[in-house]
Amino acid sequence: MKRPSVTSSAIPLITAMIAVAAVLLPIFLADTPWPVGARDYLQENGFGDSGAINLVSAIYLGYRAFDTLGETIVLLVAVGGTIGILTRSGAILAEGYTNPDTVAGIDSSEEEIPSFSLAREKRKSHALRTHLLEVVTAILGPIVLLFGFYVMLYGHLSPGGGFQGGVVVASGIVFLGLGNRMESSTKLTQAAVLGRIEAAAFLLLILASISGILLGKGFFGNPLSRFTAVPEGFIIMLNAIIGLKVGAGIGFMCIAILGRER
Amino acid sequence: MIERILILLLFLVGFSGILARKNIIKKIFGLTLINSAAVLLFVVEGSRVGSQAPIMEQGISQVVDPIPQALMLTAIVIGVCVTALALALAFRLYQAAGSFDIDEIRRRVHDES
Amino acid sequence: MSLEDMVFLPVVLPLLGAALALCAKVFLTGRASRILEYTGVFIGLGLPWLFFVYITPMMYAGQAVSGVIGAWHTGVGIMYRFDGLAYLVNILGFSVAAAAWVYALGAGPKGPSFSSVFLIQTASLAAAIMTADLFNLFVCLEVLGIASYVLIASSDKPGAALASFSYLMVSATAMVFFLLGLYGLYRLTGVLSYEGIASALNQLPDAGGPVALVSLSLIVAAVAMRVAVMPLYGWLPDAHALAPHAISAVLSGVLIKTPLFALSRVLMLMPAGASAGQLMGYAGAVTALAAVVIALSQKDAKRLLAYHSISQIGYIVSAWGAAIQVGTTTGAGVVLMAAAFMHAFYHALFKGLLFLSIGTTVDRAGERNVYVLRGAGRILRAHGERFPVTLICFLIGALSISAIPPLNGYASKAAISYALKGTPHYYLLFAASIGTVASFIKLSRIFWPTPKGSAAVLDDVPAAIPWPIHLSQIFLGLLCVIGGLAAPALFAFVLRLISAGGADVAISLKFYSSGTMIKTLIITASGVLLFLGAITPKGSALLKRVRERRRDFEGLFVSFALGTAALAGWLLL
Repeated sequence: MKRPSVTSSAIPLITAMIAVAAVLLPIFLADTPWPVGARDYLQENGFGDSGAINLVSAIYLGYRAFDTLGETIVLLVAVGGTIGILTRSGAILAEGYTNPDTVAGIDSSEEEIPSFSLAREKRKSHALRTHLLEVVTAILGPIVLLFGFYVMLYGHLSPGGGFQGGVVVASGIVFLGLGNRMESSTKLTQAAVLGRIEAAAFLLLILASISGILLGKGFFGNPLSRFTAVPEGFIIMLNAIIGLKVGAGIGFMCIAILGRER
Repeated sequence: MIERILILLLFLVGFSGILARKNIIKKIFGLTLINSAAVLLFVVEGSRVGSQAPIMEQGISQVVDPIPQALMLTAIVIGVCVTALALALAFRLYQAAGSFDIDEIRRRVHDES
Repeated sequence: MSLEDMVFLPVVLPLLGAALALCAKVFLTGRASRILEYTGVFIGLGLPWLFFVYITPMMYAGQAVSGVIGAWHTGVGIMYRFDGLAYLVNILGFSVAAAAWVYALGAGPKGPSFSSVFLIQTASLAAAIMTADLFNLFVCLEVLGIASYVLIASSDKPGAALASFSYLMVSATAMVFFLLGLYGLYRLTGVLSYEGIASALNQLPDAGGPVALVSLSLIVAAVAMRVAVMPLYGWLPDAHALAPHAISAVLSGVLIKTPLFALSRVLMLMPAGASAGQLMGYAGAVTALAAVVIALSQKDAKRLLAYHSISQIGYIVSAWGAAIQVGTTTGAGVVLMAAAFMHAFYHALFKGLLFLSIGTTVDRAGERNVYVLRGAGRILRAHGERFPVTLICFLIGALSISAIPPLNGYASKAAISYALKGTPHYYLLFAASIGTVASFIKLSRIFWPTPKGSAAVLDDVPAAIPWPIHLSQIFLGLLCVIGGLAAPALFAFVLRLISAGGADVAISLKFYSSGTMIKTLIITASGVLLFLGAITPKGSALLKRVRERRRDFEGLFVSFALGTAALAGWLLL
């Protein structure tokens, strides 16, 4: 019964694969020398124009900052949409693993508790977690956060930047969320707080992008150039805002998926 | 040359996953694969013109082309966002249809509506 | 504030509004939250109109604003160009978006999250049409895409989640192909702005050879997928049929057209653009006819409208493709492009109106099957509609799309057939018009009065129809009528903007002449005959076959792959 349907539907699939391979082959095989015009320009003038030693940062937040704004917006919508879809599903994910019975593969009977688990009364909301995980993440969390801020703020000098730093910050938040036992010691793992940071950072980012217009420097122009001759100030500012936004956004999404709070 | 062929193969593997796999999670993996293939191609080829990372400290010359790296940074983040949204939708579909099989989902959903 | 800054207002203001709406969600509750949200929406959808009014004289004089964002070096920064075409497409987008948002106020979805995503979508439309940088176009299309996936999935039906998922998968795949095309072009030229790429390609021997052609075909195919030209249309019917009504109106009215006009900027400059435009034009004409046949076979009211969107976009693409083929610097090209825009604009208005009025009706009736639902006018009356606003709005929309004078659809279709006269497209579009009339007679039957029985008032919808629903419907309805009556003046205005104020384009088009009237009569009469043929047993059996043709998820990708290959082959040979 099944076999004929497989073979009859395989022909269009194979044709499509061959078509794709044939179309892409010229692009993949192209071996014209890579154009160096833009590279040479940046090597000469990138630092002078933007003040960033890291040329990738110079492009990312200087020459092509408008792309970065678009990318940030994609992230914003994706985080909001993902959380919206998950919570509206009324799922176990949104409510948290409050009921051990609902966790697949873990039997709630006393004997089969994994060996590293917490005592049962502490385990209510963390059926799948172990001492090891909780202790290690709780200790690592603040360190990871600190490192995240370092990556964020030094993005113009070294590999890194707002997005990368933000993602590290987000993983720090996830660590805090994992290590955080029932008694909460930080507000950073509360979804409401993260949502606020994200929204405020987004507003700041939009304001930063138009502040150049108000100060006569044009859209995405450097508003700080009026006050200081150091051009990298704007990149540092954008890095910090984007880092906060990304960290809060991705952290928010992870915390929501972890089911800590709604 | 050989890298580009390998990347093309990676791309085709991903595309065949989207095309021929019935499981929607595997389809999403396929999407991630082709996205990575495009990113890899851009970055690998862009690094041919120089030999050093584009961080202009003292004495650095002949850096690689930084533009592909900056562009691909954007493309990677967008890819991750799309993947996250796709996985959320897959979860929603699983709840509605009780299956990850695309044919099964289509059948159940169309029966309902 | 200089003009160079002002042209970014249609992008920045909606974004600012979105940020405010988002802040309203997380910082405030209750009344204060609503006030901030509405302020944000007013900033995003209302204030740009001040700019549009202000800049109209300059656009009319043929001025175009272009430059590099942030005044960076040309080779690395992002180029933009705000000209007549961008202005027109912005007007199209913001008018339908405003109506749709007001409608959503009455019919849902509402709330600050919805408003912020909606505003982001509007901003990305404005950004996509004014960018002159290929990678920035990629980013704009991705923002546009992700906002629309989320908006489609905001409907509670599981079908909407599947539609959103299918759209997401096929369009994300297409965007990877776009990226590969971008790689090919960057490798050849080393720049990303449209003009830079075009001039660098022209200097290369053989204009870049097969790599340039294949790269261009990947980019065109990825955008054509968004526009839903056949054979790349498969994602659209589900998405547009299952999204919330207000979103359907924006998706059909605005979202499928903006990428098309954004693409025209690329194609007008590229060496191989004319030939790609030619193929797109043929595909468009075929789409117009094929989609209307499928539309005629549908039983779900909104799905029928969705197939009509594909058919109408076929009209637009066929005129657009012909315009690209002859080049928009020539008189004929300007007329074709103006006709394409006129139809895009008018289609946005009447299709928005149709989606909204049909949405209101099917919500109240609790039934979407056009074979089952009858007496919809009575049902609406039972919901407190003393004066049949929704019915009249539906009729305006239906008569517009069927090209009955003096409504706007008539005017823009007259413009298209004037511009395309003597080409093969003309006959395909003529046949498609007949099908359009027939299928709208079929759809109108839901308002057929039933002899007896009182319509039940459904419990789960509010008894009275909220005022925002009526307001938005009346707004679009009025625009449809005015657009029809003022068509000659508007067409002259659009011609002037598209020719950048310079070239005087001589046209001998008379919108309301006896010849066009007779043609309308022929089309309408044939439409009635076709409808009568379609409800005979033989006809309905045939349509059932069309309706139940095999459609599967893989088909979306197979058709995308084959369509891309066909385009590449066409350009290479």
